[in-house]
Order: sequence, then structure tokens, then C-alpha cells
Amino acid sequence: MSGAAHIAIEVLLSIGVIVALICCLGLAIMPDFYERLHYMATVSTITTVCVLVAVVIQEGWGQATLKTIVIVLVLFFMNATLTHATARADRVRKLGHWTADPKENIPVVKSGSGGTK
Amino acid sequence: MNVWLIAAAVLMFGLIPCGIVVFTRDAINRLVGLEMAGMIETLILIFLAQGFQNPNFYDLALAMALLSFGGGLVFARFLERWL
Repeated sequence: MSGAAHIAIEVLLSIGVIVALICCLGLAIMPDFYERLHYMATVSTITTVCVLVAVVIQEGWGQATLKTIVIVLVLFFMNATLTHATARADRVRKLGHWTADPKENIPVVKSGSGGTK
Repeated sequence: MNVWLIAAAVLMFGLIPCGIVVFTRDAINRLVGLEMAGMIETLILIFLAQGFQNPNFYDLALAMALLSFGGGLVFARFLERWL
């Protein structure tokens, strides 16, 4: 493997790890439940794609790359499904139902002031 | 020690904020921390598999991703209906 490939792998891993750490920090800092939910999406897209590209550069097309592709796809679709399920659970816990009610008075929530603390 | 093992070691610090959320917030926020921790652990297992140059270790990461997915869904439904 050439020196350029080594540098590319190091850069991709650095980007992925730094983005993941920032998102973990944001998870703990954000005051609102719905703001907190968004930080999972960055890890499941940017970090996983960086890791996948780094594995492809190092291993080429082999068993490790195929398994990494499967894991990245699982994480990608897992995040979308889990985010929806978790937000739905929070709404049902607060309102007692999930479906929209025409008579329901939905308050306008300012940034950082709504959701479950 | 190669770059993959260093990345795995550094990424483990990401579990600390997840642990803070899990141990200090209410139930629905704990679920978010648990889901994030599951993703971080899956990435750490990928790094370790690549760092030790053993493709069989990727099965652990795949199992972790699938189990954290199922566990997150079960917890979300549990919080929605019974807690």
C-alpha cells in the first residue's frame, strides 16, 4: 500500500472519529430531546461512510469490505427507524396517542424550549 | 499499534457522554443515549477487527449493530406502551 493510501486512511479515520466525538458531546450538551435525536444521524452517515471508504482503501474488495458494507447499511437504516420509533414513543408518552387530531392545539415551539427535558 | 487501534481507543471516549445521558436523564432520553452508544460500540468493533487484521471479528460488529437495532425498537415500544 502506498504512502498516499496510508495518509488517506488516516485522514478518513480522523474525520470519522472527530465527527463521532462531537456528536457524542452534542448528545450530552443539548437541552432538548428532539435536538438530541438529530446527533445520531451524523454518526450513522458521515462516520460510517468514512470508515467504509478507509476499509475499501486498505483491503480492496474482500470479505472485510463486504461485511463493512452490510454493517454500514444496517446502521444507516437502523438510525432512521430508531429515530422515528423513539420520537413516536415520546409523543405517545406525552399525548397518549400518535395519530393527528384535527382539534389538537399544537403549540409553536421555539428552538431549545420544547420537548422532554 | 496501528491507526485503527488508535482510532478505536479514541472513539471509546465517545461512550462517556452517552453514559452521562444514560445515567442522569429521564427514561426516553436514556434510550437516545443507549442507541448512540450502540452505534459507537459497533464502530469500535469495526476498528478493532481491522486493527487486529481478523475478518472474523467483523461478525461481532454486525451482531452488535443488529442487536442494538432490535433492542432499541423493543425499548421504544416498551416506553410507548407501558412506562
